[in-house]
Amino acid sequence: MKILIPLKQVPDSTVRVKVGADGKSIATEGITWSISPYDEYAIEMALERKDADPSTVVAVVTVGPARSRDALRQALAMGCDEASIVIADQAAAPLALARALAKVVEESKPDLVLCGKQASDDDQGFVGPALAEVLGWPHVATITKAVPADGGVELWREVEGGHEVWKAPLPALATVHKSEKEPRYPSLPGIMKAKKKEIAERAFSDLAVDPAGPAPEVLSMEPPPARGGGKILKDGDPKHLAEQLATALRDEAKVL
Amino acid sequence: MKILVVAERKGTELRRVTLELAAKAKELGDASVVEIVGERYSPLPFVSALARKVEADSPDLVLLGATLNGRDLGARLAARLGRAYAADVTGLQASGGSLEVERPMYAGKVRAKVRVPLPAVVTTRPGSMPLKNGVAAPEVAKIESDTAVEKLTFVKFAAVASGGKRVSLAEARIVVSGGRGLKGPENWSLVEQLADALGGAVGASRAVTDAGWRPNEEQVGQTGKTVTPDLYVALGISGAIQHLAGMTSSKVIVAVNKDPDADIFKVADYGVVADVFEFVPAFTEAVKKVRST
Repeated sequence: MKILIPLKQVPDSTVRVKVGADGKSIATEGITWSISPYDEYAIEMALERKDADPSTVVAVVTVGPARSRDALRQALAMGCDEASIVIADQAAAPLALARALAKVVEESKPDLVLCGKQASDDDQGFVGPALAEVLGWPHVATITKAVPADGGVELWREVEGGHEVWKAPLPALATVHKSEKEPRYPSLPGIMKAKKKEIAERAFSDLAVDPAGPAPEVLSMEPPPARGGGKILKDGDPKHLAEQLATALRDEAKVL
Repeated sequence: MKILVVAERKGTELRRVTLELAAKAKELGDASVVEIVGERYSPLPFVSALARKVEADSPDLVLLGATLNGRDLGARLAARLGRAYAADVTGLQASGGSLEVERPMYAGKVRAKVRVPLPAVVTTRPGSMPLKNGVAAPEVAKIESDTAVEKLTFVKFAAVASGGKRVSLAEARIVVSGGRGLKGPENWSLVEQLADALGGAVGASRAVTDAGWRPNEEQVGQTGKTVTPDLYVALGISGAIQHLAGMTSSKVIVAVNKDPDADIFKVADYGVVADVFEFVPAFTEAVKKVRST
């Protein structure tokens, strides 16, 4: 089975994001970039398949600026087999991005495409379902498990109160919410091997995809309103503190 | 502006977010509400039925709740129709010939104002649109899900033991979450009893779901759920930045932690420096008392 994961490089989840000087994008100087967390889960899910069946081929692709090569290198070091990049210095319209990825999928012919359920920068969650739509494939959203089953794949989807299990014919696409295990760290041999692997590269314009499309435009950004200056209750017996808090929540905060 | 709201039900009741959207749509213009009826949500049959309805009625704006299914349906619908798409918005207004929305980005670390060209598909975060008490349920037109286009086969539903009877985390007005300070899954009755006394949902920090103490679906934070309840109670949670990203938009935050330097106190409206095992049972009793008087 061949599994392809389209991934995105985003600010690492530990980065304290700050608004940039233009007031409508983030300040990128000195920040650490990583694979978007849900894409990492997708990679881990694919690699777990490969652990179970070593004939599995795991490929990653990204559409983005040149710095995104580092994210691909990271994926290779985790154990992915192949990586390619489509260089796009300016963000393509969301639907154009899905069309570009569809071209890559048509060439690379994976049986299964796993996308993170959303990238942790714009948090839109558009590209996965949109890619399935452009390909005309079925998809299952926000899965936590993928198990090969007779002539297809069983996809476990977490919903309120449990999991729905769907069987999809191949090829299929799923968006990933979590993997069964935490994403693995690259091993030292993995890092050495990844350094030697070639990352196939081409320009967005080579794909002959129309980069236009309806796109939301960020007008301004601001940090969430500052919080703090709250009341601290301490140094009392628990019963007294508890009554103080319950009364405050009812009479001051008016949430009870 | 012509708006189509896509209704969602939990059991037999319309979800609160549907009521919020119906009220908002009325304020924006010519509103109607449609429900797709099928045995269970699946993208292809639902998108197919809804796309046909949208093509027939040509609303400028299609509104869905940013629920698990709403976000999936909205994204694929927008792709099919070539419409602009904005997910998980927390504010929404018409502005000239387009739409101006507010939405969190970077996992809640930034709030953005975004212009969305029309026609568009937008999902809104449950609890983010005002809803007056006692608002009448909207009139809902029903369309059938288009099962002929289905390519998936439903295999089974695997239920998890916990939860079920409580309100769902994403829509709850009150959320009580537990962290590593609870020391183990055997102590979760403390969290549950307080949640029940408050009539709220139960959540957890990532440390707790990663350790397998609680199911993933209860995780609040960057790779879990983002919640915006009226009251968020964090029990034994230190307040890692990824957790804060998922709950700092709550109206009132209460934190209980033994460590007075815990980061969670920086966002708390009420911080209690105490041992959760001593404080929480007393607080549960106190809540019952003030709610009954």
